[in-house]
Amino acid sequence: MTVLRLLSRTKLYWGLLVILLIGIAFSPVSGSGRNIFLSYGNLTDVLRQVSITGLVAVGMTVVILIAGIDLSVGSVMAFGTVLTATLLTEDGWTSSATVAVPAAILVAFAAAFLLVRFLWRGLRPQAGPVGARRQAARDPLRDGWIPGAAGLALAALVAAWLVPQIDTKFGVPALLLAVPCTGLLVGAVSGAIIVAGRLQPFIVTLAMMVGMLGLSRLTAGQDSAVLPVYAGTNATEDIELLRSMLWGVLPVPGLFFLAAVAVFAALLRLTVFGRYVYAIGGNEEAARLSGIPVDRVKIAAYAFSGMLATLAGILYVAQYRQGKPDAGAGLELDAIAAVVIGGTSLMGGRGALAGTLVGVLIFGLLSNILQLHNINSNLQLVFKGAIIVVTVLLQERNLADLLAPFRTARAARQAPAARTEATGQQGSSLIHREGTQP
Amino acid sequence: MNRRDLLKTTALALGAGVTLYLPAGWRPARAAAKWRIGFSQATTLEPWRVQFNKDIKAEAEKHPEVELLIADGEDKTEKQVADVENFIRQEVDALLISPKESAGLTGVVDKAIDAKIPVFVLDRNVDTKRYTQFIGGDNVVIGKAVGDFVVKALGGPGKATGNIVEIWGGLGTQPAHDRSDGFHSVADKEKGLKFLLDKQSADWKQNLAYDIMTTALRNFEKIDLVYGHNDPMAYGAYLAAKDAGREKEIKFVGVDGLPNEGVVWVNKGELAATFLYPTPGAEGLRQAIKLLNGEKVEKTIVLPTMAITKENAPEILKQNGLG
Repeated sequence: MTVLRLLSRTKLYWGLLVILLIGIAFSPVSGSGRNIFLSYGNLTDVLRQVSITGLVAVGMTVVILIAGIDLSVGSVMAFGTVLTATLLTEDGWTSSATVAVPAAILVAFAAAFLLVRFLWRGLRPQAGPVGARRQAARDPLRDGWIPGAAGLALAALVAAWLVPQIDTKFGVPALLLAVPCTGLLVGAVSGAIIVAGRLQPFIVTLAMMVGMLGLSRLTAGQDSAVLPVYAGTNATEDIELLRSMLWGVLPVPGLFFLAAVAVFAALLRLTVFGRYVYAIGGNEEAARLSGIPVDRVKIAAYAFSGMLATLAGILYVAQYRQGKPDAGAGLELDAIAAVVIGGTSLMGGRGALAGTLVGVLIFGLLSNILQLHNINSNLQLVFKGAIIVVTVLLQERNLADLLAPFRTARAARQAPAARTEATGQQGSSLIHREGTQP
Repeated sequence: MNRRDLLKTTALALGAGVTLYLPAGWRPARAAAKWRIGFSQATTLEPWRVQFNKDIKAEAEKHPEVELLIADGEDKTEKQVADVENFIRQEVDALLISPKESAGLTGVVDKAIDAKIPVFVLDRNVDTKRYTQFIGGDNVVIGKAVGDFVVKALGGPGKATGNIVEIWGGLGTQPAHDRSDGFHSVADKEKGLKFLLDKQSADWKQNLAYDIMTTALRNFEKIDLVYGHNDPMAYGAYLAAKDAGREKEIKFVGVDGLPNEGVVWVNKGELAATFLYPTPGAEGLRQAIKLLNGEKVEKTIVLPTMAITKENAPEILKQNGLG
């Protein structure tokens, strides 16, 4: 029994293993007799190919854990590609610069402010339950002036670093700061609207998805559907760094993806923020009543999602040497699929980032295997759809649950008299369930 | 911060954003023109369509007597139908339309013809013959031209040998099938040519072609030529080969020949050749003006293709102000 339970608990990893075994067993073999699927180059190709969807899926996991959804990630990613491409190839106050630079300054201010206030307050001995902190007497010096000064200092630093770069072209470190900051703000706006208007995240992020597509197209300009980036001619060569192989071993996009998984896994598992995320996903009202700052945590979750989406946008530009407003079409669905395959519940409160990592890898390996076997593109889509359904079925239910309807059917056949009663009950419970839907 | 403050701040931030962006999307109409010509474009998100719009706008600049109204169908049939209905209600003097698809737009084209508006169908046809004129390229002819080029590049007729990767555009689109059929009608006659992939579609996109090529490079140790159904896909395949260090042993051929894309890549030696798929923008407007001036126009005009190679690429770039 314990073996079975262990199997059931780790079934996620078994799925990954099965895919790997299938890949190895059926892989085409190169002329020198090497297994192509297993070759190191091929596996790093997979890691590189999944890292853009993967980064977005990491943010999506956090959002789904608080029982939200973020449909805007594709558009936000595309906005990131447009910002990156224009900042890399054009100088002066383009519309990208007018958006990205103030965004970075604003985020720098907010980050320093919050961090210093958090540390300053942490120095004071605290006691009592969670809510007690709020009731402590407010101290304008501790809560306002000192953090504010720190915020202004960091904002000034960032401004001093970024503004001179506008006249030339943005370098890679500056891009890696300014573009994700813009995404962070976009995500925070989504979150703020959801929280302030008490609206469904589905609708708000849907609106954001449409709006960001328009904004990307406006930023790109009327006459350019695609913004090409040629490292060495219209952009600096540094951008090549973001798709190179690190020490010849690890593709840089993969490094970003794995780092994001590690950082956010730590954030979710080890910090108070992480516990709050699970608490809110489990039962938002209960979380609110127990003094958890639900609104702030929710805004933060959407902000992280936006930030990771734009970060993925930078990597997209580095990888494919172009930015375009429709780059991320359908990305949100890939990300959601990966999260769900990874065992995170769309109802929130249940799941983990390790699952998302596995989900992303399962998807990437599957694409790779189908591609290596030269399967027709249309058929590949059918396979992908099937694999989502199968893995989610295995994830969400135990085998016993799946077999239950057949068992009841058999029981009903054996006792025909009891059947009407049973169906009647089922009907009423269905109505009851519908009635309690929020 | 309470909820209401938050809402206010958000609204303010959004408002500021919109004000910032409004000037970019705002453009006043030209005053006082003799003729108003409506142009319904299917989408402006593809580079070829962008070039199409550039061509038609450039032509309109040369004709002060014409006011050109452009509507973007945003890649949606229903939006394009609404655009055309809008033009009919505005009683434009002539209608140019580049339909997103044939079936969905035939009805509204009929409606325009019933309203006595001359209709010029550009690039993709509709299921009626009552229009005034159709102007477009011929993708089968282009496919054949690619086939001839490939056979010549790999050894000449009768003795061409090599492994070819063909990267498809969208599998559900007619141009992709035409470009493939024309190509195979020539290339299949060569016994020495081997086709490595089975209908692998990158949906006209550079990034998807990159990924397909990455895997193909792992899978096949000898690839001699890549035929992309458009230039961005051929270029995406080139980038993948370059990252694998194998770009020197492979020739890349694309289609479309846009000045700022394919021609640039050919000029740099990254693509071996591209084949022009001309936009009917300039010719369409010229024909409409011709008709409005009382002249007769032909029922169908097929725009010719042209091979763009290293020899003529610099000149084309110069003509487009990119040299």
